[in-house]
Amino acid sequence: MEDLIVSVAQRTLIAGTPLLIGTIGEVICERSGILNLGVEGVMSIGAVAAFVVTFYTQNLWLGLMAAVLAGMLISIIHAVASVSLQSNQVVSGLALTMLGLGISSLAGKPYVGKSLTEKMNTVAIPFLSDIPILGKILFVQSPFFYMAIVLALAAWFILEHTELGIKIRSTGENPKATEAQGINVSLIRYGCILVGGGFSGMAGANLSISYSKLWIEGMTAGRGWIVIALTIFALWNPMRAMIGAFLFGGIFVMQYLLQPLGISPSLLAMLPYMATLLVLVMIGIKDSKKLNAPAMLGEPYKRGER
Amino acid sequence: MRTIFRVLALCLCVLLVAGVASAEDKKIKAGFIYVGPVGDLGWSHAHDLGRKFAESKLPWLESVFIESVPEADSARIIDRFIQEEKCDVVFTASFGYMDDTIKAGMKYPDKHFMHCSGFKQSKNVGTYFADLYQMYYLNGIMAGALTKSDKIGYVGAFPIPEVVRHIDAFALGAKATNPDAKVHVRWIYAWVGPDKAKEAAESLIAAGCDALAFTEDTPAVIEVGQEHSEKGKQIYTFGHYSPMQAYGVDSVVSGQLVDWGVMYVKILQSLYDGTWTKDDLYWLAAEDAAILGGDFDNIINPKFVADLKAAKVKTADFGEISTYDLVIKRYEQMKKGADVFEPFSGPINDNTGALKIKKGAKASKGDLLSIMYYVDNVVGSIPK
Repeated sequence: MEDLIVSVAQRTLIAGTPLLIGTIGEVICERSGILNLGVEGVMSIGAVAAFVVTFYTQNLWLGLMAAVLAGMLISIIHAVASVSLQSNQVVSGLALTMLGLGISSLAGKPYVGKSLTEKMNTVAIPFLSDIPILGKILFVQSPFFYMAIVLALAAWFILEHTELGIKIRSTGENPKATEAQGINVSLIRYGCILVGGGFSGMAGANLSISYSKLWIEGMTAGRGWIVIALTIFALWNPMRAMIGAFLFGGIFVMQYLLQPLGISPSLLAMLPYMATLLVLVMIGIKDSKKLNAPAMLGEPYKRGER
Repeated sequence: MRTIFRVLALCLCVLLVAGVASAEDKKIKAGFIYVGPVGDLGWSHAHDLGRKFAESKLPWLESVFIESVPEADSARIIDRFIQEEKCDVVFTASFGYMDDTIKAGMKYPDKHFMHCSGFKQSKNVGTYFADLYQMYYLNGIMAGALTKSDKIGYVGAFPIPEVVRHIDAFALGAKATNPDAKVHVRWIYAWVGPDKAKEAAESLIAAGCDALAFTEDTPAVIEVGQEHSEKGKQIYTFGHYSPMQAYGVDSVVSGQLVDWGVMYVKILQSLYDGTWTKDDLYWLAAEDAAILGGDFDNIINPKFVADLKAAKVKTADFGEISTYDLVIKRYEQMKKGADVFEPFSGPINDNTGALKIKKGAKASKGDLLSIMYYVDNVVGSIPK
């Protein structure tokens, strides 16, 4: 029984990690007022970049860096479209998803079925991993898990407790007033989109060099969409994103665990989206300001316009 | 002026010769529709290897393919193959394409269609299938002999007769060497879903299973088995459809392999010769379509040969022999013909206790193609 609990909890954290990494990025991006629906595409780009670079250099950390860089680079498209050209963010985000998925399968074609010699293995933290049960669950994990936790805490601290965080948040709430304070709204938004892209790329790397070491087309498998749902579920807060990501990860693991009891996996697969709908309904009923939704989310900002 | 006429006449001659030549030079263009990416290392990959094999053997063949076509979307692709690519024959290689293929047959009466794994034929629509249930039976024999926990896992794609037949055959094989072993099933509702297959495999291992077979078109389950085996917990896995032993050298015992190439050559040759019929082609080990092994060089991974040779089993026809010999002997029987040894020989009960195949009787092809019950050593019920 103890083995079962440890295994399920470990799997839950593993399944939730890429979701958490992606969600931190999307939270940062949306807090600055930019909706990025391109997460799925950017994640696939990150996955293929990490795999290919690791495949040739045998260095997992170089692969991770390549994924972050690739994610940032491809996100420039969304930044130019939504900030500089003030176009519809939904459209350019969706375009980014399609483009990313296409580039990823095209670039990955020669590597299909190929395997890395090594993947990012679990690291046991000394002393802490000796704690019974909890130690095995929390402190024998892939480096991606530890990084995700640290990054989530850092993102929360920066957004809520630093001047930069106030700038980002006010950009998302009221860009006109922010501009009047002498802050460059475009610069902030560009930065947030690129950082968000970097996180998505990292989430992709998590899948291709840590979760699995095989290149298989379409390995993001809709996680980018779950990230967007999670961002709303977490009410644009990196701390709540942590709970949400591992909850959604747990649901994924539970699909197969609860199957022998006659609970349909399709029903469980639906739950993350149901939960998000529920949160959206709550936002609709309650005062949306209290729920943290950036007021100007998805609205293009034209400088100097009244 | 005369030179111009000469040149014109020459040109006409050339065109005439070219025209005659092309009329004699009969070509066939075949279109292939796959449900997954050709790099999935499973079903679609195997079909594409078959297509390439046929192209290398048949100089008059030209072929095109489209991968990752959703099962509800094949009508559009068939139209494109016939109208734009001018294909003479279209192969639709997934069960869900069945009705659209039949409809296309009515729409284009002068073209041919071949639907893989279906049961509907018409004037110009034939069916073909290479079935692997015999190989699953042989893998089951090995799984039953090797398991220490008496819990064997199976990751299934979709609860349809084809997969249920494979689970049952696998379970019957396991029963032949280990009557106490039970087969536990998890469904992932995807043909290509490495993350789902991985989680399903982990949940089976967490439930105590130490031998895993699967129907999913990536080596994800093998990867899980290899990881656990490297960490010291031996998990036995059985490859599916493509050579997968390289992904799990410490875990893959054997597996099922398929050779669609021989089948595609036969079908296309019959179209070329004009001897094509719509009759169902149902190929097994005897036709060399179904092959046993984790890759094409090893029937059984050498790492596990000693264990299988040490495990003795009592059989009605061979007396007491080693599991290894039993696998080889049964495989030889299957290669001789499907009627020499039939895994689905009565008495067979389903897992609710109902008698499905009477003592002394064998399952007919129709029984096998529509099988929708678990045999008595499979746990649980098939989801509706």
